[in-house]
Amino acid sequence: MDTPQTITDSSSNASFEELAIPLLPALLRHAHWLTQNEAEAEDLAQETLSKALRAFSSFTPGTNFKAWIFRILRNTFLTSRTGITAMRTTFLEDHEGLEESAVATGSTPEETLIQLADAATVQEALRQLPPANRDCLLLCDVEELKYKEIAAILDVPVGTVMSRIARARAALRAHLKPHFGGRQ
Amino acid sequence: MIASEHLQPHQIDAFADHELSPDEARAVQQHLATCHACSLRVLSTVNLKQATAAAGRRFDPSPAMLARLTAQLQQGTTAKPQPKRVLSFPRTRFLWPALAAALLLVAVSLATLTVRRNQNTLSAELLDQHLATLSPAASPQVLSTDRHTVKPWFAGKLPFSFNLPDANALPPGVTLKGADLTYVGDHPAALLLFTVGKHQASVFVTQQSSFTAKPASTRSGFALRSTTAGDLRLTAVSDVDPAQLDRLLASLASVQQAP
Repeated sequence: MDTPQTITDSSSNASFEELAIPLLPALLRHAHWLTQNEAEAEDLAQETLSKALRAFSSFTPGTNFKAWIFRILRNTFLTSRTGITAMRTTFLEDHEGLEESAVATGSTPEETLIQLADAATVQEALRQLPPANRDCLLLCDVEELKYKEIAAILDVPVGTVMSRIARARAALRAHLKPHFGGRQ
Repeated sequence: MIASEHLQPHQIDAFADHELSPDEARAVQQHLATCHACSLRVLSTVNLKQATAAAGRRFDPSPAMLARLTAQLQQGTTAKPQPKRVLSFPRTRFLWPALAAALLLVAVSLATLTVRRNQNTLSAELLDQHLATLSPAASPQVLSTDRHTVKPWFAGKLPFSFNLPDANALPPGVTLKGADLTYVGDHPAALLLFTVGKHQASVFVTQQSSFTAKPASTRSGFALRSTTAGDLRLTAVSDVDPAQLDRLLASLASVQQAP
């Protein structure tokens, strides 16, 4: 099958270029979180765009292009050397029984009402999260994708997305509380 | 939800993430109107969500980086075939046959070189992915010996379909272990993982029409065997006896539908 060089979404008339260019900062940003390295992030984004362009004929018009290309970004990362070592881990906590303990921080609402003024500290706390939980949280809070879309990107059930987000937030609270004066 | 009960953590997250249905969101709002503790929890979650968004966006791609990617995109989507160049040579009696012969020689050499380079690139990519599956940390995205679990898992993930044989139709000593969704030569592919005795074998299922290169037969001591079935190309990589790989490929090819 020859790859068309000029590809246009026939129903909406949006070309690949028109859809992808506004997402470049988001793709680079998420690639940077995945690789933790600026040069690798650019390589990953480049490879993602190349693959997405070739596979654009499989994109269903009317569905979320951002979710579609983020899925390619993640799969591209997973098949990279960095991704293989960083991400191919079975997260036992994804399975039943651990959700409640993970989300119950034992703190009172007042303690968890943290003052979050220092983005650098929050960024450091994010960096320390397990990659799978961090990816879920970033796709939700930074990229503003729906649980269902995140589940499709990460290839996990929606329930797993919810529990990973809950665990990520619980861990962030626990990490940030000493910095920002959870009231003890 | 009973009004006197506090909200569950997952309800608070879903409310902050705008994931509740209108009815559920209304019920939560009614509860929050009377529950100070839950209001603080929701406020804390919204607060944390905003802080995460701000921190998550701190990496600011440089204009140069964005320009490079934009240029790549524009180049990729608007590349047009190069216009054919018309060469003009003096009409000498012997020049054309000599030129034709020389061009043919160059074309054959270039084609051979290109095929060899494509084979090497493809073999390296397939072997790289096979080696990755051997890592103790590697866990297949779908872990199952049941073809009725593995095949449906690919539904909607690949632009093509393929069949898997029954466990008893596989060659003796071969067991399906699981599968991954992957990419080969920039095209989506199914990576089927098998155990062959005490060895591991990876079988990549791709569309023949996606790329024409065939992998080299060996690389770094690993055997790469390939066969086709309809529009599918099945490529196996392992350090087992190549004959065993051929038998595995034959059993897989036999259950694919005719084009």
